[in-house]
Amino acid sequence: MIIAIIFIAAAFSLSAEDGTDSKPGVSKFMLRGYSHSGFESVTVDKDTETNFVGGSINPILMYKQSDRLFFEAEFEGAFEDGAFEWTLEFADISYVINDYVTLRVGQFLLPFGTFGEKLHPAWINKLATKPLGFGHDGIAPTNDIGVELRGAFYLGSVKLNYQAYAINGPQLKDGSVELDEAGMLNFGYTEDNNSNKAFGGRIGIFPFSNSSMEIGFSGQTGNVGAEGSDYEDVTATLYAVDFSYVKSIKAIKSLIDIKAQYNGSSIDLGGATFAKEDGDLYTFNNETSSYYAQIAIRPSLIKNKFFKNLELAGRWSEIFTPDGALWKNDKRRASIGLNYWLDWKTAIKVGYSVTEGGSLVDDHGDADPNDLGLPPQNNQFYIHWAMGF
Amino acid sequence: MKKSIIYVAIIISILALTALLNSCQSPAVSAKLGVQIWGENCLRCHNSADPATFSDVEWDVAAMHMRLRANLTAEETEKVVKFLQSAN
Repeated sequence: MIIAIIFIAAAFSLSAEDGTDSKPGVSKFMLRGYSHSGFESVTVDKDTETNFVGGSINPILMYKQSDRLFFEAEFEGAFEDGAFEWTLEFADISYVINDYVTLRVGQFLLPFGTFGEKLHPAWINKLATKPLGFGHDGIAPTNDIGVELRGAFYLGSVKLNYQAYAINGPQLKDGSVELDEAGMLNFGYTEDNNSNKAFGGRIGIFPFSNSSMEIGFSGQTGNVGAEGSDYEDVTATLYAVDFSYVKSIKAIKSLIDIKAQYNGSSIDLGGATFAKEDGDLYTFNNETSSYYAQIAIRPSLIKNKFFKNLELAGRWSEIFTPDGALWKNDKRRASIGLNYWLDWKTAIKVGYSVTEGGSLVDDHGDADPNDLGLPPQNNQFYIHWAMGF
Repeated sequence: MKKSIIYVAIIISILALTALLNSCQSPAVSAKLGVQIWGENCLRCHNSADPATFSDVEWDVAAMHMRLRANLTAEETEKVVKFLQSAN
């Protein structure tokens, strides 16, 4: 069904472009997206597994109805456990109220830091893996349904941008489905489990007029327990600080791209307890954090056509989980990669990651916090291609 | 209820602030050409877009997407679109 919609939309878009309609309408449609695939070799305790992975496609539909109204939606199609599945990443309508305020409603990517909203697409992400604590199984919210105000403006030469939103919010896992996950948050639910909405936002500051540096502060708070349950008063406060510095430096004839983000999650259980398998009750200080720091260097100012398309990237990330939780599983990961850019949105990525802390990672590089007891280190080699279109 | 009042107050404050901002023009942006804004902002997340990639109509749509995603101002967006449409 989704494929049919995409092809019909693409055909509609082509017919509008072929010149047969000499009077361009006000409304405009565009199909974009990205895809990635690759080969990976994961070694755990001298046991190596190799796989061709990925093969995913993320079509993005964009429809500009007027200078004020805009719709966009992204689907993600990929194999999960042997079956091909489509999931909705976002589908939202934006209305430009004025030059400084845009209203957005629907399911949207949350501006919690920058990785989830701006940097995660395969053709933008400098490495084939994601930082620990990010992605669909991370501690940072990725997408949700709600309403948002956003905009940007200058104060002198300093640029500011803001986003403020109300969403259904994450939900607390009480252990009734997965005993070992009690106290974790589940993000991206389509229905709220209580009448309390989560509120959040981000403020970004560009201190320099050339927009080379941005510092962002994000926060989100709301009740996460199911109404009527023992956890209905449990609240979660999430916060993040992100940093970006991108600048061409003539002295080394290269473009330097530095990114970093710190996420914190503080869940006030208020004395609520969870049950172990033997029926014993327990509670813990539910504080989780993660961060990553990344640098990429591309000699884009040199004349050699081959070397100017090479990019070296490195990333360090860590996640710290609560003492006393059954999903306690701290990890750290070092990643290094070499990318070759075939054009501005197509790259071949070769990389190597070492993850310590006792858990395997899946083929997207997401950590699985339930893999307790597995060997303490895995090494991952990959060759990926990623294309934006 | 108390929270809702606070958030409504925040929204009204934002709208009031934008009314104030409407009376101000940023000299930092006004002095810049579209090519400069394009060069400074695309790179914050991804490689600079090749103007030849899309048609004039497509750039108009893509720019709306990037205005929202990358938090470009209206003036920045307008200048970048004009540059991309003239250079493709």
